[in-house]
Amino acid sequence: MLDGIISHQELLRRIDALRVERRLIGPVARVEPECMPPVRYFYQPVERADELALDFTYCVQSPKAVLLPPAEPLLRFDRESGKFRAGPVIDHTPTALIGVHPCDVHAIELLDAVFSNGNADGHYLARRRSLFIVAVDCPEPCTEGVFCRDMETHETDRGFDVILYRLDADRRYGVVFASDAGRAWLNPSLSSGGMRTPNSDDERTFIRYRQNKERAFEPRLPMPRRELPEMMARSYDSLLWEATAQRCYSCGSCNLACPTCYCFDIRDENELNGGGCRLREWDACMARDFALVAGGHNFRAKPGQRLRHRLYRKAAWIEAQTGLHGCVGCARCDRACTAKISIVEMLGQLAEEVQHAGTRP
Amino acid sequence: MRARDPETRRPADTTDFPYSIYLPEAARVLNVNPMTELDSLFELELESGRALGHAPGQFVQVSVFGFGECPISISSSPTRGPRFELSIRRVGEVTNALHRLRSGDSVGIRGPLGHGFDVRELHGHDMLVIAGGCALAPARSLIQYVLDERQRFGSFHVLYGARSPNELLFRDELARWGQRDDVHCHVIVDHADESWRGRAGVVTKLFDELPELDRERTMVAVIGPPIMFRFVMLEVLALGIPQNHVYCSIERRMKCGIGKCGHCQANDVYVCMEGPVFKYGRLKALREAIE
Repeated sequence: MLDGIISHQELLRRIDALRVERRLIGPVARVEPECMPPVRYFYQPVERADELALDFTYCVQSPKAVLLPPAEPLLRFDRESGKFRAGPVIDHTPTALIGVHPCDVHAIELLDAVFSNGNADGHYLARRRSLFIVAVDCPEPCTEGVFCRDMETHETDRGFDVILYRLDADRRYGVVFASDAGRAWLNPSLSSGGMRTPNSDDERTFIRYRQNKERAFEPRLPMPRRELPEMMARSYDSLLWEATAQRCYSCGSCNLACPTCYCFDIRDENELNGGGCRLREWDACMARDFALVAGGHNFRAKPGQRLRHRLYRKAAWIEAQTGLHGCVGCARCDRACTAKISIVEMLGQLAEEVQHAGTRP
Repeated sequence: MRARDPETRRPADTTDFPYSIYLPEAARVLNVNPMTELDSLFELELESGRALGHAPGQFVQVSVFGFGECPISISSSPTRGPRFELSIRRVGEVTNALHRLRSGDSVGIRGPLGHGFDVRELHGHDMLVIAGGCALAPARSLIQYVLDERQRFGSFHVLYGARSPNELLFRDELARWGQRDDVHCHVIVDHADESWRGRAGVVTKLFDELPELDRERTMVAVIGPPIMFRFVMLEVLALGIPQNHVYCSIERRMKCGIGKCGHCQANDVYVCMEGPVFKYGRLKALREAIE
């Protein structure tokens, strides 16, 4: 059921209205003829709604940087000798994130769980509470190689304020609200005509949209998502880890591109005036020294061990810990990999190996 | 039209997050005592006067602003009052900065963190503590605890192995424990020198010093480098001690200490939350834990 129908022009007007109180971040097309593909999309701050490319395919980087910046100050301190002076840095900047595909909405839900579970992380949560999310549904796979259908993340009904469904070529959107803030933003009664309540024709169009979507997304894995943890449990000693990781450069590009990778490092940065910051920075479990301890022992010294650790987290452990998807099937890691290692291919190979190993115990 | 999100209309200093979980508390350095060429024992007190409130086996994150933060296990027992001690080896930037501090200086402390020994589960048992290398630092918290609450425990054995006589931690205390008759403390070094009158070899050699232990009454704590675990566990299990009577403390590099940053994971377990002290049965299921 739709909550409303909005025209493209009206949507842009409403986004511009959001700009009054919030900074806007959304997908912006970057044209670089020497790159493949020549038009790529990135989440960037914008001043006006018409700078946004709401019909974007996919953003090269995930929107996690909006909530968990690649480097952010946690504390500011004063380094006067022997004295203890420090305070927290909390960012409440009201922000609207416009144009989040369902896979990334699922990824943000996971980050929410991780940073609010147990020891709540006020730095993340302050930013999250100041964030207004407008999701945009995908009528078809954004590009080749994605496996969101397998991960059941190609659609979503929560984790955003508003979701938009692009119902037809005249850029008319079906609207569904998931929060009061979302409802207040697109309140039809405030409309000059571009926003209205849906009629029965609209609902029929929406049903067709969903039927077409169902056909457009095809599974790529040989087994359903719920069987992944069991498959992984039987793959710990597979030779594939080491064999595949022979190509790995341990560069961590997969970690940086991944919308659900949240591991971080903490280090101090000094300023010339005697002050400084304690920074949180993205870290990568694929990097060689990630599990190194002070005495010099490295608990995952081999690239194969690190690859296994990352894939176990994505396909089994994160879900066991949080109940949410550890991998959302966006395939950004596959695209980012400097050695052309593919997580979806690996999962397929492991599945095959487990099937060949015979019937389940 | 204006967005009306009551959530974000609050003033920027919302009371929801009055502080950062990463903000350390100030602590004063009371004493610094060198123990080896690299290790010193720091006596500290929180400036608030609050007792740390730790269990043996827990750790703290120690900060020197401008250098960073590092995880250090607590070396003293909670029975010793609000002051606490950390044995710190200078191996990196933060620990070198710590070694330049003098009494009266301030450091940052977050903690206590992690899961230590469930001392109440240990009460009423005979105790065997086996430590290797710098792991005497966390083990000492438990040893002090047993000595301070001596009437709660039966017989008490401590086995400690270090690489060389120069690398022995808490030498004076080892000597005192060696003279007491309510604790049987045995020390061995891998590489003896002329000054060394004790035994030489690996820590498992010390098992021949043990009298016959009451298998059902004995609780065992094993703390040491990964290489030590396998050999020590063979000896412990050979004694016939039930696996659920064995605790192990493992080493990882905690960055956040609160189950988020990912550095300390052993397979799917955040060691900073569930550990660093584990029952042996739990560790067995973690292939990465001590490999």
